Amino acid sequence: MADLKVKLGPLSLKNPVMTASGTFGYGSEYEDFYPAKKLGAVVVKGIAPWPSNGNAAPRVAEVMGGMLNAIGLQGPGVDAFLTDKHYLPHLKETGATVIVNIWGKSPEDYALVAKRLEEEKNAIAAIEINVSCPNVKEGGLSFGTDPKTMAGVVAAVRKATTIPLITKLSPNVPRIADFAKAAQDAGSDILSLINTIPAMAIDVETRRPKIANVTGGMSGPAIKPVAIKLVYEASKAVSIPIIGMGGIMSGLDAIEFMLAGASAVAVGTAIFADPRAPLKIIDEINDYLNSHSIRSVRDIIGQVRID
Amino acid sequence: MNDLPCPILQCGVLHGAYHWIVFHAPHVTADALPGQFVHIRIGNSPEHILRRPFSISDADPDTGELTIVFKVVGAGTELLAKMKPGDKCDVMGPLGTHYWVPDDDVYPVIVAGGYGAASTLFLASCAPLPGIVFIGAKTKSDFILLDEYKELGWRVEVATDDGSRGYRGRVTDLMASFTKNFPANSMVYGCGPAPMLYDLVKKTDKIGIRCQVSMDQHMGCGVGACYACVIKVVDKDSPEGWRYSRSCKEGVVYPSEEVYCG
Repeated sequence: MADLKVKLGPLSLKNPVMTASGTFGYGSEYEDFYPAKKLGAVVVKGIAPWPSNGNAAPRVAEVMGGMLNAIGLQGPGVDAFLTDKHYLPHLKETGATVIVNIWGKSPEDYALVAKRLEEEKNAIAAIEINVSCPNVKEGGLSFGTDPKTMAGVVAAVRKATTIPLITKLSPNVPRIADFAKAAQDAGSDILSLINTIPAMAIDVETRRPKIANVTGGMSGPAIKPVAIKLVYEASKAVSIPIIGMGGIMSGLDAIEFMLAGASAVAVGTAIFADPRAPLKIIDEINDYLNSHSIRSVRDIIGQVRID
Repeated sequence: MNDLPCPILQCGVLHGAYHWIVFHAPHVTADALPGQFVHIRIGNSPEHILRRPFSISDADPDTGELTIVFKVVGAGTELLAKMKPGDKCDVMGPLGTHYWVPDDDVYPVIVAGGYGAASTLFLASCAPLPGIVFIGAKTKSDFILLDEYKELGWRVEVATDDGSRGYRGRVTDLMASFTKNFPANSMVYGCGPAPMLYDLVKKTDKIGIRCQVSMDQHMGCGVGACYACVIKVVDKDSPEGWRYSRSCKEGVVYPSEEVYCG
């Protein structure tokens, strides 16, 4: 067994494979398949100051090599998340490493959620700031497409909590390096990228968009090369560690992200195809390291060879 | 919970675009109940990354044989229809809520639209006493499983949109024309297109008969994690009077009084 432990600034993980926010619910939905504590971390679905309904259905559509979604951040709100037995209280019992994705409609909203989460700082390994959801009218991506606005959100959250911070970046920006640096300068400990890519699909018979929100976010293996490039560029621009994601289906996909500069990875859409995908990916990373006589997964981070 | 690769034992065409498949899936049949579904990965290609949900048409816990009946409606079902005995699919399930299986003092009434009749067939085979099934279709070539219901001793009444067979018009109107003869202990079970089910919910409410419907939306995960497949259910505590419910987890079978028709 190779050494799979990774350290992302203040965040230590038993292995580099986590779930992408929104694809693993609040940690309990897949527990009939395997215990969540086997994962590097569980990143729960976005938490806002208030309960929210999300968008009308249909919310998903399959496209070539992936899918579109526009769930619209349906969620219970931070009060229920902290106290309701379906959410954090349950996750704490599982022994999983918990990362909480947060969102709001103003920097104050984000700070409010972070401050509330501070009450459970021993149970929460990190907070992931979602400034890149393409599917809500207010909040989300509107904060993630201007570096100054985004930095304002990160700084507000930084003031509100001592919990390690991850800023989740959108791919839908002209220069990812500007956003990576802005997040780092505003106090983010870690970056995660990419969120889904804004996209659209139309049913040619009904002439209606395939999802009710008209546009959605694209994920799945088709977007992986886009994500690899952005992880590579972001890693060159900052000194803080990066969690890479976007279409990871196999251990070799994960290795590719790590070579590009990611210190850990998140698996999302692959879970819908195969709930056990994250565990298989952990095994396949181990197999790759063994077959290449590499002792630690840490030894491949950023090791892409560029002449 | 398992999603083991399950071999196809037998498969075939009912007629036209309607197909059936029997999988060997003992992990599903061991405790499958009528109204539940399985979430199937069709092939292993990244072209078809999402699983497809299928109602369980029959499940035999003794043999492990799981039957699904489906219509080819897109790329996924087209691929499934081409599979042969010995081919394998990952079959996840049984998933979702189930119909309340009637006791022997309940008169079961099934109202099915299109291939919704595939879901309620399992219920018909589990019911201790046969009842009456109303099946609606666009046209006479769209009916499936009529003989299977008859073999189970059920009375079969049919409706078509174009009048090519049986009653011309909505299957829910056909059912409503029969309700005065239903015993007081009747229970209506509905499966079919959403407009039909909303109509059924309203009609059974007005008439005062208990009713359960199978409702869903496009699914992602199938286990309640992704929040894709939501439908509106009554929620008196919310300002809107409804909330979104994950049909894969809190459904697919809902008591009619929970379904929000506003």
